[in-house]
Amino acid sequence: MTHGTLIWKNLTRYRLRFFLTTFAIFIAFFLFGILQSFDKALDAGAELAADDRLVVSNRINFTQPLPIAYVDRIRSMDGVLHATHQSWIGSYYQEPRNFIFGFAVDPESFMTVYQDDIVLPAEQIAAFIKNRRGVLVGADTAGTYGWALGDLVPISSNIWQQADGSKVWDVVIEGIFQSSRDELPANGLYMHYDYLNEARTFGKDFTGTVALTTTDPTLNDQVAQAIDFRFQNSAYATETRTEAAFNRSFVDQLGNIGLIISSVVGAALFTILIIVGNTMALSIRERTSEIGVMKALGFRASTVFSMVLGEAFGLAFFGGLIGTITAWGLVEIARNIPGFPFVLGFPTSVWLQAFGLMVVLGVLTGLFPAWNAYRLKLSTAFARV
Amino acid sequence: MMKQILSVSWISLRSLPQRLWLSLATILTIAVVVAVLLAFLAMSNGFRKTLEGTGSDDVALILRGGASTELNSVLSREDQAVLETAAGIAKNNGEPMISGELYVVVNGTKKTSGTKVNLPLRGLSEQGIAMRGPVTISQGRLFVPGRNELVVGRALLGEFDGFDLNSTVRFGATDWDIVGVFETGGTVFESELWSDLAGVQNQFNRGSSVQSVRAKLTSPDAIEDLKDFAENDPRLGVDVISEKDYFKEQSQSTSDLILVLGWPLAIAMGLGALAGALNTIYTSVAARARDIATLRAIGFSSLSAFFGTLSESLALSVLGGLLGAAVAWSFFDGLSTSTLGGGFTQVVFSFQLGGALLVQGAILALGIGLVGGFFPAIRAARLPVAMAFSDR
Repeated sequence: MTHGTLIWKNLTRYRLRFFLTTFAIFIAFFLFGILQSFDKALDAGAELAADDRLVVSNRINFTQPLPIAYVDRIRSMDGVLHATHQSWIGSYYQEPRNFIFGFAVDPESFMTVYQDDIVLPAEQIAAFIKNRRGVLVGADTAGTYGWALGDLVPISSNIWQQADGSKVWDVVIEGIFQSSRDELPANGLYMHYDYLNEARTFGKDFTGTVALTTTDPTLNDQVAQAIDFRFQNSAYATETRTEAAFNRSFVDQLGNIGLIISSVVGAALFTILIIVGNTMALSIRERTSEIGVMKALGFRASTVFSMVLGEAFGLAFFGGLIGTITAWGLVEIARNIPGFPFVLGFPTSVWLQAFGLMVVLGVLTGLFPAWNAYRLKLSTAFARV
Repeated sequence: MMKQILSVSWISLRSLPQRLWLSLATILTIAVVVAVLLAFLAMSNGFRKTLEGTGSDDVALILRGGASTELNSVLSREDQAVLETAAGIAKNNGEPMISGELYVVVNGTKKTSGTKVNLPLRGLSEQGIAMRGPVTISQGRLFVPGRNELVVGRALLGEFDGFDLNSTVRFGATDWDIVGVFETGGTVFESELWSDLAGVQNQFNRGSSVQSVRAKLTSPDAIEDLKDFAENDPRLGVDVISEKDYFKEQSQSTSDLILVLGWPLAIAMGLGALAGALNTIYTSVAARARDIATLRAIGFSSLSAFFGTLSESLALSVLGGLLGAAVAWSFFDGLSTSTLGGGFTQVVFSFQLGGALLVQGAILALGIGLVGGFFPAIRAARLPVAMAFSDR
């Protein structure tokens, strides 16, 4: 009988207790995996942002507009490679609850700046640029509403209104794009800025944000400062940030979600630490005389020590692995549901953190009983029978 | 029979200190689970109460049709003129009590996290302020129209940096002085900045347009007259909703979301705690096996053995529940925080624990105690009497 089998036999001696303790560990690591994945999903917008793209918004707040003339002025500045602009349209299809992330853009410069993010055939891009009423829609969005290329679709806006009072803009699906990265859903709608701007009743010749690429990412800070300096005394002072920082600012609005998640995970881990620690201490106490026998038979104190520690590690890894794998499986299922609202993923860092926690759990719950077993004198062991 | 149950329960409770650490661990785990549940419930409850406490049912909120929030809405000068003639609106000295308002979003910094967040700047008239129930200026004074002055809500001042009394804030190319702090009794309006309508229209390039119109109704029922008027006037394309309902609708999705997250988390953690409780009580039954068998041998019923064990588990869960509630009460009750509300701006609210929530916490704790005690109790009840006479 090897030490490994002996550890396993000891662990599973009381099957019910083993099952219950494993279950408690399972729950904690399952929660850990799911919540970490969720936390990463909230960061996805920032983490997947291109590092050479900057976003210029109104300094007062990003919901305040910028004059459309800023686009050309920014484009002509040193270090700026390409610039384009986007306006939020608050679009929906038929019913307000069929909400679509829609923007009005300048088609040509938009395709230049975002060419690495969205994927579609060149002829669709050309058709979109040519047709003033043309739109690009994400494959997921098109799938949700059953749209195909060439369809004429009425899109409503909860903000913009045409001169005749209508809130509906008739558009033609000229392109259906895929996302260049699997982890990002292909959703959204992009219409021509000119089509929106000419017909809308207010806000004419303003846009929402300007996005630009720099000639070299190391120039980002310099370019950002130059842009903000240039407009600082105008009525439309700007704030230029990296795309990652801009995306991050949306998540920040929700509150300190990171803190909430780490508190819950911390509470869950603390709970199992107590449960497992006590169970380990109890089962070693119960076996005092047995450990005495082992020592009397010639097992070295260090062997006894590592076997008890091994038991704690076995428990932590057994429950921890099942929990983490289950969380991973669930995330995999969820992310393959079409239209799932979060960009879920299960990055390697979560695995590594989980392994780290299993080691910590094993050490914290095993060290004390192992030390007791190590020190145990034969006289004490047999006196307790 | 009752007497038997009581005395066996007493014996098993008295033996608790013998399994001190195991029992303490169970109490602690149940406490953690209850505290986590109560924190989520108090958050959801606090948010809902803040929004539901805002708005009155004799004030109508008028937005452009389909806009659904003030931020997306625009109403022209002509719309406002038509609305002034509408039915159901109360009058003051012959003038309709109506308030055109602008709602623009500006940046502020959240004190606890240092992150930049959206805050609402509302342009309104004195008429509009009067429609918000009792408003008091607790420090400084009210803004003077035409002077680019702001007053700041008490909750906003507490939660965000950048809007201290007597300081200056720059929007675009204009400096605004913060001249006062206002209170509205803990409603959402305290999460806002207020200034005079014409000044905001001017500085934010809105011409004579507004985003929403509030109208004081002759009575809560008069909203139907106003709705009929708006529907039948071809010049208007607006939605009419009572101010109270507007905020109530906004509370729903966020507070539901918090609940939807909180309960499953608490139940999952509760299952973990349940496993710990089962372990503890099974161990207790094993440790007291001889005592229980002996009691059976001298004539105690198996039912009393059952309830004696169950009472131990319930005692642990009651203690855990109480501890968890105490922790939640001292750490979370009244804790002020903010999140994104329906108006795309921050709403300041505080965690609110109440009787109904504590009952839910108690249900969770007792649920763990009942299930955690039930199965070991069955084992105790079935212990063979012969065990009393065995050696070990």
